[in-house]
Amino acid sequence: MTRRFFVVLLLLGLIAIFANLLFNYAMDSELNQTARYYAKHTATDIGAANIVTAIIVTYRGLDTLGEVTVLFLTASIIGLVLARSKNKAQADAQPTQRSNQHKTRPFPSGELLTTGSDLLVPLILLLGAYVFINGHLTPGGGFQGGAILASAALLLLLTNPSRHFSHQLISKVESTSGLIFIVLGILGIFFAGGFLDNRLLPTGTLGSIFSAGIIPVIYSFIGLKVGAEFTSMMINLAETEKKQEKNK
Amino acid sequence: MSWVALTTGFILILIGLYGALTNRNILRIIVSFSIANTGVNLIIVAVGYMASRTAPILDKTVAPTEALERIIDPLPQALVLTAIVIGVGVTALMLTYAFKLYEVKGTLDISSYKELKW
Amino acid sequence: MVNGALYLVAIGLGAAFLLGILPDRRELSYKITLTSLSLMALIAASYVWSFAQNGVLPEQIYTAGSRPPFAINLRVGMAEAVLSLLISLSGLFSALYMRDSLLKQGRRAMAVLLVFVMALCGIVFTRDMFNLFVFSELSVISTGGLVLLSHDSRALGAGFKYLMVSQLLSILLLIGIIFAYHATGTLNIDGMAEARLNTLVGGSLSFFLMFVVIVAELKPFPANGWGLDIYESAHPAFSALFSAASGAAMLFAADKLLLIGGTQWLGIATAIGLFTFIGSNIFALVQENDRRLLGYSSVAQLGLILAVIGQRDLLGDHYHYIAGGILLAHAVSKAGFFWLSGFIEERNLGAWASLRGHSPLIFAFVTFIALLTGLPPFPGFYAKWDLLMMLASEGRFWVLGLILLGALIEAAYLFRWFGYIIKRDIEDEVKPSLLSHPFKVDVVFSAVIAAWSLAYIWGAISQHGNLLHSIPLLFALGFVLIDTLPVKIKNSIAIAGMILWFIYQYPSYDALQVIFSSIILLGGALILLAGYHEKGSRPGFYPAAMLMFAGLIMLIVAQGSFDFFAAWETLTVGSYFLILRGKKSEPHALSYIVFSLGGAFLILAGFAIAAQGTVNFQLKALADVASPYAAWVFLLLAIGFMTKTAAVGVHIWLPGAHAEAETDVSPMVSGILLKAGLFGLFVLLMNMGKQQLYGVELSHVLLWIGAISALLGNLMAIFQEDAKRLLAYSSIGQMGYAVFGMAMMNQLGWLMALMFVINHFIYKSLLFLSIGGVAKRTGTREMYRMGGLITLMPLSFIAVLIGIIAVSGVPPLSGFGGRWIFYNAIMTTEYRLPMVLIFLSGPIAFLYLFRLIHTIFLGQLKDEFRQIREAPFWILLPQMVFVAALLIFAVVPGLVLRRVDAYLAPFFASQSGGLNWEGLTISSDFGYWSPVSIMIIIAAIFASLFAWLVFVNRKAQKVKQFNIAFSAERPYRPETTHFAWNFFAPYRKALGFLTQPFVTRFWESLTNFLHGGAEFSRRFYTGNGQTYAIHLLGFVVAIYLLWVGMTGGRL
Repeated sequence: MTRRFFVVLLLLGLIAIFANLLFNYAMDSELNQTARYYAKHTATDIGAANIVTAIIVTYRGLDTLGEVTVLFLTASIIGLVLARSKNKAQADAQPTQRSNQHKTRPFPSGELLTTGSDLLVPLILLLGAYVFINGHLTPGGGFQGGAILASAALLLLLTNPSRHFSHQLISKVESTSGLIFIVLGILGIFFAGGFLDNRLLPTGTLGSIFSAGIIPVIYSFIGLKVGAEFTSMMINLAETEKKQEKNK
Repeated sequence: MSWVALTTGFILILIGLYGALTNRNILRIIVSFSIANTGVNLIIVAVGYMASRTAPILDKTVAPTEALERIIDPLPQALVLTAIVIGVGVTALMLTYAFKLYEVKGTLDISSYKELKW
Repeated sequence: MVNGALYLVAIGLGAAFLLGILPDRRELSYKITLTSLSLMALIAASYVWSFAQNGVLPEQIYTAGSRPPFAINLRVGMAEAVLSLLISLSGLFSALYMRDSLLKQGRRAMAVLLVFVMALCGIVFTRDMFNLFVFSELSVISTGGLVLLSHDSRALGAGFKYLMVSQLLSILLLIGIIFAYHATGTLNIDGMAEARLNTLVGGSLSFFLMFVVIVAELKPFPANGWGLDIYESAHPAFSALFSAASGAAMLFAADKLLLIGGTQWLGIATAIGLFTFIGSNIFALVQENDRRLLGYSSVAQLGLILAVIGQRDLLGDHYHYIAGGILLAHAVSKAGFFWLSGFIEERNLGAWASLRGHSPLIFAFVTFIALLTGLPPFPGFYAKWDLLMMLASEGRFWVLGLILLGALIEAAYLFRWFGYIIKRDIEDEVKPSLLSHPFKVDVVFSAVIAAWSLAYIWGAISQHGNLLHSIPLLFALGFVLIDTLPVKIKNSIAIAGMILWFIYQYPSYDALQVIFSSIILLGGALILLAGYHEKGSRPGFYPAAMLMFAGLIMLIVAQGSFDFFAAWETLTVGSYFLILRGKKSEPHALSYIVFSLGGAFLILAGFAIAAQGTVNFQLKALADVASPYAAWVFLLLAIGFMTKTAAVGVHIWLPGAHAEAETDVSPMVSGILLKAGLFGLFVLLMNMGKQQLYGVELSHVLLWIGAISALLGNLMAIFQEDAKRLLAYSSIGQMGYAVFGMAMMNQLGWLMALMFVINHFIYKSLLFLSIGGVAKRTGTREMYRMGGLITLMPLSFIAVLIGIIAVSGVPPLSGFGGRWIFYNAIMTTEYRLPMVLIFLSGPIAFLYLFRLIHTIFLGQLKDEFRQIREAPFWILLPQMVFVAALLIFAVVPGLVLRRVDAYLAPFFASQSGGLNWEGLTISSDFGYWSPVSIMIIIAAIFASLFAWLVFVNRKAQKVKQFNIAFSAERPYRPETTHFAWNFFAPYRKALGFLTQPFVTRFWESLTNFLHGGAEFSRRFYTGNGQTYAIHLLGFVVAIYLLWVGMTGGRL
């Protein structure tokens, strides 16, 4: 009880801070200096129609590098942590049970689900690819596209929880995409204006798919990377369940 | 409009923090933090909004020359993307921790993980 | 290197990604990890080198071909370069240390490590606020990952608590950042600073949120339970990295942030920092777990540096020197400690005793303690000196005082730990696997090398000269290298070195310095002769002793306050190590070092206040200190010096320390070391003269202290059964005399004090050596067990006899002359009551001196001692030299005193009373003293009595010891016929009330209060992660309320 009381008290303090912020908030009527610069120069300098993409990939590319690394880290750590459990569990498991891993499932999925997912998964993958390839033209981008790709994997997992995904492939895709991102960034130092400058390739005409320099290239790789990472996180977490079932 | 969004964001944060600080089940704590993160993201996006302006995409609706008067601030949208991804990463990590903790001790009550103290 | 910072980031990340592509071969991945970390360190080192050599401007690195604030930019200046070097090197060395864990966990763990190091460097380099957020999230996540490398299953809980709190912090930080962006229109730190965020609507609140989160990352007290668990449970190499590197990066982030906030936030930063520093150190006092203790200490140091950052406006150009010095000292020492902890199996402090078999590791530990507590010659010493000087010059006395208090507490628990290492029982040996992990030992020694290099560098760029250039110090340190040689060689080198140095320096000494240095160097060499009787190699003795002598000799010649203080701390540390060598000396050595450091800090405070910002404040300038401060300076310095002379009130360390020290250490500390305090008082009184504080004449107070010390010291000596304790208490009394003499502020008083310095050295060393020799042969120090030793140890008897006669002031020896001068001195003043006390203590002294002869040498010989021999030759030799010296000095005191008198005359030119030195007689206003005549008369009396005794007894019969009838019985046991125990029982009844241990009880209750408070308060850290998150929220709200209260929520 006292804990709740203290929490409420402290949250009241927070409310005071938030209220203060809220009441002092006045919506801008004009773009501030940074936004103004982006509005004026994105089309000509970067050549991307989606200004947000231009900011993410080029202007604040270092942040994106960090963000991509966050996912990489998280996927690695989850793999690290859960791999230990898996190894321990596999050591305990009976050999016969292991071979049955792929075949037996407690409750097989219904036909509606299986057929539906067979139909939908390619479409979802296509949508995801579309989103990240066109990141510089329409709302969306690598992260969004990658998440869509991963949702396809999720659908597959839900349909068939004991489906086997190749960890090797996923981790290779992940790492290669990351490396390419960095290499492109370093190339930007030598051949263009600076680290992660997109003008390695020509900026082209605004609105066409081959515009905005290397933004589509980078974003595609990011899309693949993010998709791979989310997928790896999910399958690692899912495989713990398989292990639990085996142990029962 | 943005008042509504801001207020909602703050309320979500408060709900999330309240849940995180009073619930004992680790999974509920994680979910509460998720709610709070959503609230923060909402606030970030809301701060960039400007009345009667549109999305910062240069296509048929907004020509490059009139971008200055027609679009909202694009920067918060970029920031929130990063914030969402980071939030997801940390949530995934915490879930993994929850799994490991359960594996080691068999309970998801946070007050039972008190071996290290003082 | 242009764009080097970007390459550093790219290498770190690229290597991490590369590890995922390559086949899962652990060794290869490990090599890649090490290579990338080395490359990163190399880049950082090249930056440091180019800044040091060329002094170029900081490099601005732009990204994406656009300028800030439209794109993120990095900046590398000298500070960033040094910090990134620190981070990457600690990453590299920790990776080396963690080799086994990393190989077992695989390439993913290595990738996480690489990202961690890179992210911390990113935090240091970036100039963009949101980028700072991203990199710090990266470091949080990688911490969460690396914690799992621990062998300790509790690390899981610790990691989860950490993540919970980080979530809370990142929520608040994001809110702050976005509102700050809204207010200023930019995310660039320099841009926000320019826009003066605090003046904008809603700006200061958003700054508050950002600031409080960054500060909370530093684990401020008391909202830091979550961090401490990581220190306690994670792999030691990771804790090393966490302490050194993350702390450094976060502090720099706080520094950057304060740029935005402006000067009004500096005060809050200082307050939080100081609160953390003191609170954490107090909690560390009661820790038994070694890693948790190191965690508290880390948190405390981070608090100190935060406080220094908060003083940035004051420190100006020296800011980086000071903050950097303390930060680097903390980082290297903490890393070293954590790496050392990997060698110990158990987690309680006493288990570290197993380091004892490995003296290089002990040396490493000592280096780290000295580095952390800021002893000379390490960077922390220079940094703290400059810091305190500048604080005092601005009148920020509270900050100064609190910093010194925290430092004292820290030194207390660190040295207590060292005492455990040296003295506790070894439970299990350090794993022999130690030697099969040469990496780990190498890593520890790389930290040692780093520590000493930093000491040299900080000295080289300091304004006060490089301490490592002083020859006595280097001579002492050289003994560390030759510590394995046998005693004979080392002793000869030591003695030769000291004598040569004396000869070399002699021409440059004035009379005062001649006296002190001959006592220190020549007298020290003489006492060292006794060391020849030891066998083996006596590890650790010579470096410690030489360190003490080095400090003493540097003290004498110091002209500036900095050199004086450095010498003072050196001799304190050296003597601590010496005293610690005694068998049962652990608690006494601890109280010695705590009192000594406390006194040293008072001296430091005194110098700081006196200097008022002058760099290189000279001692002579003490005379010119302005009026409101002068009295305080006098008070602080006087108390500081008196802790060394063990004046009453701060004397409780002396009896134990001197009694429990080794045979030849006791004469050194009692005969020589105490004189350092007297020297300090000389300097003080010579330069400052009389001072008044609130109308109280301070020299009068000094007089009283001297008188009471003399009385109580002598009184307590009477009731001792332990011979060395008796002598120790006697030293207290004698020092009281000396202080009294100086406080009289007239020429004769000073002459007496100086003569006293020489006399006391000779006879105290003499007595300690002879008692030591007796104790060695009989195996006990308790006098009532001895008796009748005159026949078996005649030379010792003669030595003690001469010594006693000298101490008591009975003619013909020099003590008498001293008394005569003394009474002359008093006659010219008006201090009646203290005079009475002093007169009273004279005969009281005689009581215990009598016991020394009677109980040990006279009386009945006990059965167990019938076979003992005379004391070893090498212990006897110095004693005989001292005896000869006493005799000579008795006959021709003028040899030295005349010159001293002439030296003192200018100081007291205005006063009357002095001595006239005519030939062999000395006369004053009240009478005359003719040593030669006295000696002749006494010798004649003695000779005639002796002759008569021989004549009368020539037909005496020798009888056996028990050929007596005693109260109609024949005794068979010697004990029943020798009245020795509780000899002065009637005096105890009469005067014993004066010897109640009031002072001891006072100090004990003080420490108990601290311990009790800490023990009680630390329950605050309940272990529940949610509670810690609540603490943190409470911290945020508290600081908010504090800020609103202080400034009304506006600027």
